[in-house]
Amino acid sequence: MNRLARGPFVAALVAAWLVALALGLLAGGARLAPGAVVNALGGGGDDATRAIVWSLRVPRVALGMLVGGVLAVTGAALQALVRNPLADPYLLGLSGGASLGAVVAIALGLVSPWAVPLAAFAASLLAIAVVYRLGRAAGGLDPHVLLLAGVVVGAFAGAIVSGLLAVGESHQTRSAMLWLMGGLGGVGWPGVAVLAVYSVPALALLFVEARALDLLALGEESAQHLGVDVRRTRRRVYLAASLLTAAAVAAAGIIGFVGLAVPHAVRMLRGQEHRALLPSVFVLGGAFLVLADAGARSAFAPLELPVGVVTAIVGVPLFAVLLRRTMAAR
Amino acid sequence: MSVSRIPRSRHIAGLVAVLALAACARRERAAPGAASSVTDDWNRSVALAAPARRIVSLAPASTELVFALGLGERLVGRTTWCDYPDSARHVPDVGNGIGPNVEAIAAQRPDLVLLYASEANRAAEQQLARLGIGVAVLSLDLAADVRRAARTIGALAGRAAAADSLVIRFDTALAAASRRRDASAARPPVRVYVDVEGNPPITIGAGSYLSEIVAAAGARNVFDDIRGGSGIVSLEAVARRDPDVILVLSSDTTRAPRLERRPGWRTIRAVRDNRVLVLDGRLYGRPSPRMPQAVRDLAERLARLRSGTE
Repeated sequence: MNRLARGPFVAALVAAWLVALALGLLAGGARLAPGAVVNALGGGGDDATRAIVWSLRVPRVALGMLVGGVLAVTGAALQALVRNPLADPYLLGLSGGASLGAVVAIALGLVSPWAVPLAAFAASLLAIAVVYRLGRAAGGLDPHVLLLAGVVVGAFAGAIVSGLLAVGESHQTRSAMLWLMGGLGGVGWPGVAVLAVYSVPALALLFVEARALDLLALGEESAQHLGVDVRRTRRRVYLAASLLTAAAVAAAGIIGFVGLAVPHAVRMLRGQEHRALLPSVFVLGGAFLVLADAGARSAFAPLELPVGVVTAIVGVPLFAVLLRRTMAAR
Repeated sequence: MSVSRIPRSRHIAGLVAVLALAACARRERAAPGAASSVTDDWNRSVALAAPARRIVSLAPASTELVFALGLGERLVGRTTWCDYPDSARHVPDVGNGIGPNVEAIAAQRPDLVLLYASEANRAAEQQLARLGIGVAVLSLDLAADVRRAARTIGALAGRAAAADSLVIRFDTALAAASRRRDASAARPPVRVYVDVEGNPPITIGAGSYLSEIVAAAGARNVFDDIRGGSGIVSLEAVARRDPDVILVLSSDTTRAPRLERRPGWRTIRAVRDNRVLVLDGRLYGRPSPRMPQAVRDLAERLARLRSGTE
């Protein structure tokens, strides 16, 4: 597959983003007419429609753009950091930590809507600290040890989660499973605001390290010779990516596939250079998640599918086509 | 002559019927240990050599039925979640009803296990059958299941007559509760949303006994177009359907559900107006012989809410 030139690629990104924005706002469980939605966006129409659009739909689309973007960017950064194409935002034990926090909060009967996201966030931070500690070898963070540490911490947390689910009351088990499946409907405007404020510095830090990530891809020694402080870059990228993922998981639960597939798709379409890759991945990840969520809300309306189901069902075939065409062109 | 022959033949027919009934009654009395055989909700034929003496009940709904049939003394095991009637708590706890602990059940040496019809219980059914323990699989999702389960348990425990009378009382009480509602049904039905789970919102559909309770109480479930027992719905669909009242199913009625604190829920009018009723999970959490009581309770509370006193 031929890579796209800069112009067409940017145009395609913008088009995908606009389509996602439009469908995200127009589709949904309430079956509002497109005219009514547009009217409500402009502040017109009846109170009920305006409330649905502004209090439910718009924050949901905004959260999708943010969470999808954050997951995709952290996936791209971690794939470069550990130099492993299988790396995704959850690989480093984060989903295990977040799940454990959420399940413990639910098992303790903490009913406030913010208790579960906060507990998931706190437990993710704990998992990050443990993995970081284990992964810090003599020469700074060792990618291989980091991966291994992430996997074992994830497995440990997963075992405790399974244990708690097995002995828990059925409605608690159900709450926990549902939360773990992930979804964009749970936090509303406050969640969007918190995630946005929190993500900006971490995303900026990753962008600052973009050049160093390019050089790291050449190998550690080459990077060192070219003036990269490898230890510092690794530490920064790992911490920024982990903290971003923890926040995304706290807001939306565990949504798979975005962080794995979107960076690869952009690399296949446009190339490896991280300065271009990271922003593109952010936009495409957000658009993809918003589109998937629009599908999840409308496919069986008024019933709703977990959005992670849609990201995988739609994303895997698309990804497979892209992969085959890339391989064929090689 | 011919005039008197007809009544006589009627007498004879009546007499035969009475004799037949008497014979049946005598057989039930004379031979309580006779083999009983029924078909359960997985279409399995269940036969016991003698009426069940040691019963393990693996669903809160069947535990209630066992007590309602006067068989509480014969219960030797129940699930952790069987909380009604209070005396159920004195029965040994054998753990979960879905994916049950077969060893713990077998240790109670039951001759009959009442198993909930969940696909997760296929393996347990086979293991128990292999141990030679009688197993009756019961659906228990709708009012009709309560009737059928009562008869199944009654037949297997030698209490067929008690089961029949329980079913008659159940139907009479349900009809009475619905009739009372008919008398006041001049106004359009109250439209309710049943809250099972907040994030994502899960509600009940037409395939649940709760929809039946709501309908019998003269209200309407705004999601009765969902055919299954329950489903995940969009919060915006709830707001759009604009229910008059929200019913929150809770195992802890002392704790206010505070729906207005859930992000986005204030878009729903009933939440803003605080038209929320908490339903006690012990009464509403399962289809049980107390469904008529739930119908009466709900109808009364909806009426009070309408008149502004709750």
